[in-house]
Amino acid sequence: MASETSSTPSSSRASAEPSSSSYTAIRDPGRILQFDPFQSLVDEGFWHRLSSLKLDSLGLDQSPISLTGFYAPCSHSEVSNRLTLLAESLPPDPKQLESPLERVHGNRNRCPVPGTLYNMNTLESFKALDRVSLLKMEAQKVEEDSAVLLRFLVISFADLKKWNFLHWFAFPAVVLDPPAMILNIQSAKDALNQDEGQSLSAVMNEWRNSSLTTDVPFFLIIISSSHATVRHLKDWEACQHDGQKLLFGFYDPSCRATNPGWPLRNYLAFISLRYNIGKIQFFCYREKHGFADLGLSLVGEAAVSPPQDWREPQNIPKAVGWQPKPKNIRLAESMDPERLAVSAADLNLKLMRWRTLPSLDLNILSNVKCLLLGAGTLGCQVARMLMAWGVRKMTLVDSGKVAMSNPVRQSLYTFDDCLNGGSFKAVAAASSLKQIFPAMEAEGIQLSIPMPGHPILANEVDRVHEDCKQLWNLISSHDVTFLLTDTRESRWLPTLLCASENKVAITAALGFDSYLVMRHGSGPLITVSDQTDSPSTLDDGVQRLGCYFCSDVVAPIDSTSNRTLDQQCTVTRPGLAPIASALAVELLVGLLHHPNGIHAPGEIANSIMSSSKEPLGILPHQIRGSLPQYSQLTLLGHSSNSCTACSSTVVLEFKRRGIEFVLQAINHPTYLEDLTGLTELMESAKSFNLDWDKETSDDDDADL
Amino acid sequence: MYQWDGTLSPSEFDISVADLCERWREVGTSLPQWVWLPDRALGALSCNVAAGYLAIENIYHQNASEEGSFEESISRDEEPFDEATLVPSNKNDMHIYDYHILYSFTFRVPVLYFRGYQSDGCPLKLVDIEKDLPAYSLKLLRESKWAFITQEDHPYLHRPWYTLHPCGTGDWMKFLLCSDAPNKIPPLHGYLSAWLSVIGQVVGLRIPIGLFKSV
Repeated sequence: MASETSSTPSSSRASAEPSSSSYTAIRDPGRILQFDPFQSLVDEGFWHRLSSLKLDSLGLDQSPISLTGFYAPCSHSEVSNRLTLLAESLPPDPKQLESPLERVHGNRNRCPVPGTLYNMNTLESFKALDRVSLLKMEAQKVEEDSAVLLRFLVISFADLKKWNFLHWFAFPAVVLDPPAMILNIQSAKDALNQDEGQSLSAVMNEWRNSSLTTDVPFFLIIISSSHATVRHLKDWEACQHDGQKLLFGFYDPSCRATNPGWPLRNYLAFISLRYNIGKIQFFCYREKHGFADLGLSLVGEAAVSPPQDWREPQNIPKAVGWQPKPKNIRLAESMDPERLAVSAADLNLKLMRWRTLPSLDLNILSNVKCLLLGAGTLGCQVARMLMAWGVRKMTLVDSGKVAMSNPVRQSLYTFDDCLNGGSFKAVAAASSLKQIFPAMEAEGIQLSIPMPGHPILANEVDRVHEDCKQLWNLISSHDVTFLLTDTRESRWLPTLLCASENKVAITAALGFDSYLVMRHGSGPLITVSDQTDSPSTLDDGVQRLGCYFCSDVVAPIDSTSNRTLDQQCTVTRPGLAPIASALAVELLVGLLHHPNGIHAPGEIANSIMSSSKEPLGILPHQIRGSLPQYSQLTLLGHSSNSCTACSSTVVLEFKRRGIEFVLQAINHPTYLEDLTGLTELMESAKSFNLDWDKETSDDDDADL
Repeated sequence: MYQWDGTLSPSEFDISVADLCERWREVGTSLPQWVWLPDRALGALSCNVAAGYLAIENIYHQNASEEGSFEESISRDEEPFDEATLVPSNKNDMHIYDYHILYSFTFRVPVLYFRGYQSDGCPLKLVDIEKDLPAYSLKLLRESKWAFITQEDHPYLHRPWYTLHPCGTGDWMKFLLCSDAPNKIPPLHGYLSAWLSVIGQVVGLRIPIGLFKSV
C-alpha cells in the first residue's frame, strides 16, 4: 500500500487518496455525474473540400484520414458550442492524408481537436463498419497519448452523384466502473468570493488572449489568498502547496447550468490515473462576448475511483461516445453544377422581370414546346435565342449532315461534328444545346420534309408517307413551329399542317441581303364544340392574318433545279441569319405574352406612338429588313382565299383526305392551283392582257 | 452641377468599413463584432483596396419548427446504455446566420451576402430563411423595387450564398443620404452604417438603433 501513496506526504489536498487493491471507495452520498454529450457541426465547406479531395486525389481509397476539428468554450447561455468541421479541417496537402497531423494551431475560437475520418465508397460499407471496435481503437489513443484528452471519430459516405453526405460522429470516452459521482456543482460566481472571482476572470482572459495558450483547453487553476493563477497541466507536481485551492480547468463547450461538458469525462479518468486523486475539483470555463463569464462557468467536485483493470497496460478500456444516429446532409442545390447552372440562367430572366418587365411570364417560356424545322444558320441561331429566353423544350428537325462549311455560320456546330462524313445535323444540334446548358430538353430528328414539285418515285411512296405522318405528329405535339428551311417549297407542308392544327407558326427566310420574319395567322377552321362533325370556317367573318404563301400567285414549285450556283447554295450575308433569328424569337415571346395569342391582330410600327400598351411593344405580322439600307419595315397582310397552304379550301381538303391529298399535291403542283382557283384567276388576268407585275414574285431570290 | 450617383470608391469603402466597426462597438449590442477578413489570395500585393470582406457570424435565431436530418434506418444498438451520459432535452434547435459585406467593383456599392444553417451545419434554403424573417422584412421583400434576394457564388469562399442584388443600391443610397441636398456629395465615411441600417431590415439583422446618426 505504501508504494501507491502520493509522493508528497505534506499534501494538504484532502482529495489525495491512496489507491490499491484494497482501496474501497469512500463516497459522499451523491449521484452519478452525468456529462452533457458533445454535438457536431459540419460546415458546408468541409463537404466541398472532401468532395474535391475524393475526386482529385482519394479516388476509391478508403484508408482512414487524419483531420482536425475545432471547438471553443461555450459563449451563449442557451447554445452549447459544437465540435466543428470546416474546410480547413482536412490537410491542405493531399499527401498528408494518412499521416497524423501535426498539431494544428488554432485561435481563440478554434481550439484544435484531432480526429479520424473513415470515408466509405458505398452505403453498404458504411453500414458494415465495426463501430464498436473503431471506438475502442480511438479510445485507446486517448489512453496512450494523454496530451490529447479529446478526440473524435467520424465515419461518412459521400454520394457524389446525388451530393448527399451521410455521416456519424463519435466522441470516445472511457467508461468508469464504478461511474464518477458528483459531490457538488455550482456556478463559479457562487463558488468563489468576489476577489477570487475577479482575479480568476483576469487570468483567464490573459490565457485566452495569448496566442501561446488560447488553444490549450486543459489547464490548472491555483487560487491562493484570493489570487488566482493559470498553469499548464504538466506543472501539477510543482503546484502542490499548502493553503491553496487547486482546480482542474478546461474549456467547456456545454451551456448547461448543472452538468459539465463531455471533455471532463476523459479528463477525470486521466487525472485519477495520473495523479492518483480520488476527489477532483474541476472548473468548467465558459465565456461571453469574448470574456470569462463566471456566472456561466461552473465549479464542482467529483469522486472518481479508477478501476483495477487500468493497471494492466494491455487492457483496452470500455468506451462509449457514438451519437445516437447518423445524419444525412443534402447539398445538391449548392454543389450540383447542373443545378447551379439552371439557377444562374434563371437569374437573368428573373432580374429582367424584377427590374423592368414585371409582366414577364417565365413559366410560359419554360414550358412552351418549340419545333424547329431546319438546323442550319437560322435553326442554330433560333435555338440559341430561345435558350436565352428560358425555353427548355426543343425539337430540331433536319435531313442533312454537318458539312465542312457549316460551323462558321451555324452556331451549334464545331469542327468535330464535320469529321467522318459529318454527324446528322439535328442530332448534333440537340447534343450541342445540352452541352451548353445541361437542363435543356432537346431532341434531334433526322427527317426530310416532303416538298411539292419534287415528285416521289414509286419506291419512295411509303417512306414519304411515313415522313408526312411523322411531321404531322411533331407539329401536333409541339406548341410552336419555326419554319427555318432553305427553300420555299419545303415550307408548304408545315404551313398546311400548322394551319390545320391551328398551331403557332413563325417563318424566317433569307435573301442575299434581305430577310423576312413573320408569324402565320390562325388556322381557317375552328371545331364547333357541340354538334357538327365537320368543322365550320372562319374565313368570312374574321380577317385572319396571312401565311408565308398568302401573297403568292403561284403554287410552290421546284426552285432548286436549274438555278445558278449562288442561288442553289443560298448564299447570304452572314449578319442576316442572326438578325432574322433574333427577331423571330422576339416575335414569339411577344406573341406568347399577348392575351389573344395566335389570334392577335398584326400591328405596324408607328412613329407617332411612343410605346405600345403591351410591355414588350407592338406585335407585328411581318418584318422585312434590308441590310444595304439598314432598314426594317413592319407589314400587315391578311389571308388569301386562294392560298395554296392555309386557305379553308385546302385545309378542308386535307382534313377530308389526309396524307393522300398531300402526296397528290406534291406530285402535281398544278393541282393546288386548280383547287384554290388560282388557275382561274390567272386565266382571267391573262385575258385582260395586263402587264403582270411580279412585285411579289420570288423567282429571282432563293426563297423570299 | 455634379449629381452624386449614390456610389462609393474602393478606398472610400475601406474607410467606411473602419467607421462602421467603430460605431458598432460604441453603440453597444448583444450581437457579435464585425471582423475584417482580407483576401487570402492576394497575399502581399499592395493593390488590396477593398480586397476582402467584413463578417459578422454565429448569430443565433430560435427555430420555431421541428427539424431533423437524422437517418432513421441505421441505429446504434450495439452500444450499451451508459448511465453517465446526459440525455439531451428535445428542445427546438437554433438557426445560425452569417453575414458578409463585400464591395462590388461592378456597381461600386457594398453588397450583403448571407447564409443560414441548422446547428449541425446543414444549410438552410431560402424558403427556410424566409420563415425566420420578421414580418416587416417579408413585406419589404415582396413590395420593394430594390430588394431582390438571389443566390450567387461568394467571391472569396466560392460557394453559393444568398445576396441582395446590388443594382438598385446606388439609387436608394442617393435618396437616403442627400435627398435634402441633392447637389452635394455627402461625407462618405458613414455610408456603410447608413446602408446597413436599411439593408439590415430586409434580412432581419437587428441593427442597433443608434447606428445611423445623421452624417
